[in-house]
Amino acid sequence: MSQSITISNSVPEVNSQVEPCVVQIRHLDYYFGEGELRKQVLFDINLDLPKGQIVIMTGPSGSGKTTLLTLIGALRTVQEGSLQVLGQEIVGLSKPELVEVRRNIGFIFQAHNLFESLTAAQNVEMAIELLEDWGNKRQKAIEMLGQLGLADRVHYKPTALSGGQKQRVAIARALVNQPALILADEPTAALDKKSGREVVTLMQRLAKEHGRTILMVTHDNRILDVADRIITLVDGRLETDENLDQFVTTRDPQTLDRRMFMM
Amino acid sequence: MRRTPLAWLNLVHEKTRLLVAIAGVAFAVILVFMNLGFLGSLAKTASQIYSQINAEVFLLSPQSLEISTTKSFPIQRLYQAGGIAGVERVMPLYVGYLQWRNPETRRNRSIFVYGINPDDPVFLLPELDTPENQAALRRFDTALIDRLSRPEFGPQTIGSTTEADRRRITIGGQYSLGGGFTADGTLIMSDQNFRRFFAPFPLNRINLGLVKLQPGVDPNQIAAALRQTLPNDVIVLTRSELIARERTYWISTTSTGFIFGMGVGVSCIVGVVIVYQILYTDISDHMKQYATLKAMGYRSGFLFWTVIQEAVILAVLGYIPGFAISLGLYELTLRATSGSLPIGMEFGRAVQVLLLTIGMCSLSALISVRKVVVADPAEVF
Repeated sequence: MSQSITISNSVPEVNSQVEPCVVQIRHLDYYFGEGELRKQVLFDINLDLPKGQIVIMTGPSGSGKTTLLTLIGALRTVQEGSLQVLGQEIVGLSKPELVEVRRNIGFIFQAHNLFESLTAAQNVEMAIELLEDWGNKRQKAIEMLGQLGLADRVHYKPTALSGGQKQRVAIARALVNQPALILADEPTAALDKKSGREVVTLMQRLAKEHGRTILMVTHDNRILDVADRIITLVDGRLETDENLDQFVTTRDPQTLDRRMFMM
Repeated sequence: MRRTPLAWLNLVHEKTRLLVAIAGVAFAVILVFMNLGFLGSLAKTASQIYSQINAEVFLLSPQSLEISTTKSFPIQRLYQAGGIAGVERVMPLYVGYLQWRNPETRRNRSIFVYGINPDDPVFLLPELDTPENQAALRRFDTALIDRLSRPEFGPQTIGSTTEADRRRITIGGQYSLGGGFTADGTLIMSDQNFRRFFAPFPLNRINLGLVKLQPGVDPNQIAAALRQTLPNDVIVLTRSELIARERTYWISTTSTGFIFGMGVGVSCIVGVVIVYQILYTDISDHMKQYATLKAMGYRSGFLFWTVIQEAVILAVLGYIPGFAISLGLYELTLRATSGSLPIGMEFGRAVQVLLLTIGMCSLSALISVRKVVVADPAEVF
């Protein structure tokens, strides 16, 4: 791993002139609630995600992982600090402007969230239609589903697909517009070991082929090996930021497992 | 390729729910059609009798409400009208209710009676001019009976006798007129007989003055001239003015218009509630998917239109069976009233109800759509 590894809470060197970062976060704080009930959930986050990197974010429940993910995904209004996504500062953007930013990001969720009423191809086409690309949307959708090994399931409705297949359709929907950044929240949580493995391997392959950046929140330590980098969030602070080897060596397998169960 | 028809596919996916929704909308549509149908037939009834009367200008007391609730006025007004240039003939019309006894069940029932001079061509009913009917009209204690009278009045056999207001009466002939809302059945008799049955009733006070004009004379002109000539114990109306006056009476002055208007309103509320329930359930079921669409970059407006589309589709799908069933019910009503309640589909009403249905469903959509428009995609995950 030649990418710069940054230690939490220290501002990394600005290396954007060398290779532009897909995500650049500086001194990000985030609060839930207002007035008396205001509670800080993220504390001074500094993070760079360079192009082509697969980053797994892990940490105990309630540590703010999903909140950070939704902030990067322009799903929430950023309150304090600086957050650049795909070269655009999203602090202070209006809601319609945030929608524009989101169109360049692929989202994968724990639940597949497919429309039961639409076939696999139609679900993927819903994403293509955002670009108003009517001409060859069906062809594009079929191609994408083919890459995920679903060529023979294109016209099936979600009820006729297995859990893993549904999640692959959801991934096809997230990837079909070739977003530079992919955000995944526990994409394997609802899947068995084999399907989960399949899904992340496919994500890894597609990301590497096209130089996509992936930020994945997961509790699933069976899939940690696809990561180039693992960051840990504890109580709203970036605690560790290591590559895979460091991550494994700093934790003996037993603690690793115990930690995972706690989460 | 077109946009994926999300609204349509979402609706069609849940077949049972779709059927329930269509049935609900159709139900509301039928209720609205029936109420408007009755209201429309009321207005038609008001005009029906006047389109059968052979006159262009009418004289009546200002205190008359409608044809069955009239106040009599002096026949001199009619003779005065006869002196106006352009008037071909003036004819008195006497009206009133008699208690007609059904000869089989011996039960009394109110029947509406027109008293005319047998020499006057009061009605545009050719069957009244047959020698038999003309002869019958001139016989004592004899009347012609309306074939469209309700069966409760008993047999209409010519020559049979029964009682009306404690007086023997013979059925001398038949005709088809229809009583509409005002009467279940009608009789036509001569003025001489009318005076006998309604005694004491002076024939010099009439209920309605009929003014027949010479061909090609403008009724409005004559009506204006009559208004100038006659004192204000009578009002002068052309046929269309009189029809409009009766229609206003039935719809605005009586509770009838209010009742049917209320019926339409309640039906619409029923429709709105049913469609709201269906759309709300649909939105709740698809909340995660809609939130995902928002996360992907779809704007709230897209989801808004999807729900509106669903509402309009439901409106149209519910309207079609509702319309068809209403046609059947109109026919049924027409038969049940042996044609005397002239209920029927009108193009204007069909369009009006379609628009009302779409409006009703859109209103439900507007109420239920808030949930999806304000949905925060970040909160859903």
